[in-house]
Amino acid sequence: MRTMRRVSLLAAALATGMAVSSCAAAVPAGIDYKAVYTAPGPDALNGAGEVDITVWHAMTGVNGATLQKLADQFNAQNRGRIKVTLGFKNNYDDTLSAYKNALRGSTLPDIVQVYDIGTQFMIDTRSIVPMQSFVDVDKFDVTDIQPNIAGYYSVGGKLYSMPFNTSMPLLYINRNAFAKAGLDPDKPPTTLDEIMADAEKLTVKDSSGNVVQYGFGASLYGWFLEQWTAVAGQEYCDQGNGRDGHASHADFVTDEHVRLLAWWQRMTERGLALKLDSDTKNGDTAFESGKVAITLESTGSLGDFTKAAFEAGAGYFPKIDATDSGGPIIGGASLWIVGRGKDDAHKRAAWEFTKFLESKDSQATWHTSTGYFPISRAALDTETDRQWVAKKPQFQVAINQLQGTKLTKATQGCLFGVMPQVRKAAENAMQAAVLQGKDARQALQDAQDSLNRPIGDYNDAVGG
Amino acid sequence: MTRHASPPSTAAPPVEPVPGAESGTGSRSYLRRLGGRELPLAVVFLAPAVLGLGLFVIFPLFPAVFLATRGSDIIGSPTRYVGLRHFAELLTPEFGQVLWHTLAFTLIVVVAGVLLPLALAVPLSQRLPGMRVFRSLFTLPFAYSASAAAVVWLLMVDPGTSPINWVLRLVGIAAPGWTTDSNWALVTVAGVTVWMVSGFNLLVLSAGLAGLDEEVLEAATLDGSAGVRHFLSVVLPMISPSVFFVVVTTTLTALQSLGQPQVMTDGGPNGSTSTLVYSIFNQAFHNNNSNYGLASAQGLVLLIIGVLLAAVQFGVIERRVHYR
Repeated sequence: MRTMRRVSLLAAALATGMAVSSCAAAVPAGIDYKAVYTAPGPDALNGAGEVDITVWHAMTGVNGATLQKLADQFNAQNRGRIKVTLGFKNNYDDTLSAYKNALRGSTLPDIVQVYDIGTQFMIDTRSIVPMQSFVDVDKFDVTDIQPNIAGYYSVGGKLYSMPFNTSMPLLYINRNAFAKAGLDPDKPPTTLDEIMADAEKLTVKDSSGNVVQYGFGASLYGWFLEQWTAVAGQEYCDQGNGRDGHASHADFVTDEHVRLLAWWQRMTERGLALKLDSDTKNGDTAFESGKVAITLESTGSLGDFTKAAFEAGAGYFPKIDATDSGGPIIGGASLWIVGRGKDDAHKRAAWEFTKFLESKDSQATWHTSTGYFPISRAALDTETDRQWVAKKPQFQVAINQLQGTKLTKATQGCLFGVMPQVRKAAENAMQAAVLQGKDARQALQDAQDSLNRPIGDYNDAVGG
Repeated sequence: MTRHASPPSTAAPPVEPVPGAESGTGSRSYLRRLGGRELPLAVVFLAPAVLGLGLFVIFPLFPAVFLATRGSDIIGSPTRYVGLRHFAELLTPEFGQVLWHTLAFTLIVVVAGVLLPLALAVPLSQRLPGMRVFRSLFTLPFAYSASAAAVVWLLMVDPGTSPINWVLRLVGIAAPGWTTDSNWALVTVAGVTVWMVSGFNLLVLSAGLAGLDEEVLEAATLDGSAGVRHFLSVVLPMISPSVFFVVVTTTLTALQSLGQPQVMTDGGPNGSTSTLVYSIFNQAFHNNNSNYGLASAQGLVLLIIGVLLAAVQFGVIERRVHYR
């Protein structure tokens, strides 16, 4: 009897304890909305001994190995002064999750690599030192950084993070298929109409009517919708593409987008385009296997495409209308220097490593080893880089495309705190129209409406 | 995939009600009978299970309820009390769709994931040469993790290079858009799950068949029992504990499936493979979301569905299970 009562008491106490501790555990370390961090001067490292800094990144395979190689090089040059340790965090989403968890009360890294679409979010965490602060303190010459690349990571003329691995979208063609169809492989299509005209000639059926080769096929990747918008010279969201203040809605429902999706529907209905989902790996294999003759992909896939059994060619990202005068937006990721909980020596050490990665030699190594676009203009003039581009002439198209794009708010790209969700919503619209046959305008409207709550909640939370 | 119980043996001893489980006085007398040295021993033996259950199942319930009633800031820290707002957000056609997908997915997986192994187990239980090899081969998918299986099948149904489509074309069948056609995508994702659960279910059902009482079978045969009727009236009741076990575990596996829709379709096309667990994952962790409030509310819905299904299975179906 007594034992029983004691057990039940213990159980009650335990239950209460659990409930209380769960509440206690949930008390936020949260965001310090008033925090502003600034860059220390070069003397911050004096007398600090060897400063250990941690870099969280999401680079796999060759990319990860190259980053390690550069870090080793930096450590060798800075022995006794700075020691960089890389922390691999699987992928961009996981890196950001880890960073969010750390903001809720554990150790933050000194540098974190964040994807392009995490830019506004990172600014809103109020935990970073804007790159511009270091640039100003050091009177650092930023003219070497490709302006269109720096443009993405700049808000209000202020550079927030250092661009690192950068890519651009291109149109890729199967040159052999072009030649076989009697088309000029040196003249890839530049507009939707031209793609359709070429696809009519490129689509090949066997005797029983099965399509052996589709003229066109691209992944329904949300990034591409942003690209088409920028090429049309239009902004993707309000507030000057989210650069004058927190954007309140995405502009999905435009005549250009409707035209694009209706075109895509026609392409698949007529059997000129292969139906693909949003997984770019499927789009890549479709092109590499010769199943589709024209595709859209980032510069990052060029290396694999040049290994295909045919000769791959590249062209500018296509326009919706021939009169479109904008250009594509860059993508990829950038490096953020963390200010929260960091002393001057760590901030300074993080800046030194960032500068090293941005330098022309590091960027030449990075570009030629990984295929990412070099952010340093001078990197393109190094001997290593020249030789590499000579071997991959398709890359010259990307260089020309970038340098020929005028930097405007449209080509800077749209910023949202919830940009990853905006991109996913764009994919839903593309899938609804192309794969489910939904009316293009309705599909875009539904996707845009689905964002009202997440955007509103986010802006309420940050008081924007 | 968590398996919540170990396969029952068909030769299990008859399940007797725990003495005194019905009345309070009985339970006290049972405890007294345990008494002395045995009670501490019982506590020690129970402790790991109770601790594990408490730590990973019971305890997270409290934060889940707490989070479900809170808003959150952009890094997912709970903020002010929002009452039932997150539950109100579930009353949308979109969430109705999610529940519908979950139901359809679970139905396909449970029905096919039990019938298919059963259809295979019967011939495989015959004592013929080579059956062991087949049994091992059919059981193998059990060893795959959800994401590994999803990646392998993604290659099999790749729109550009699918070997399955190639074979279908050889026999003159136009392949459907496995992951791109809304109606097929859910079937594809469920099909991969069927493939994954079949191995384990085959193992359990084969063991059930192997443990059949030969004398009973022989007696039934002498009485003229044969064919489908023999299977339904004699064999099936005798292996019903195994069948019930695989129905319960497969239901739970299906309800908890995440890797398949996440890796193969990312919930698409346009959300048509978005199941309850995918939706929870999406709200809580995907695309830089940290909407833990809504995710927790959805998690509680999942809990209720799980409990309801278990109640139905144990309350209705188990009555027909014939334990020897």
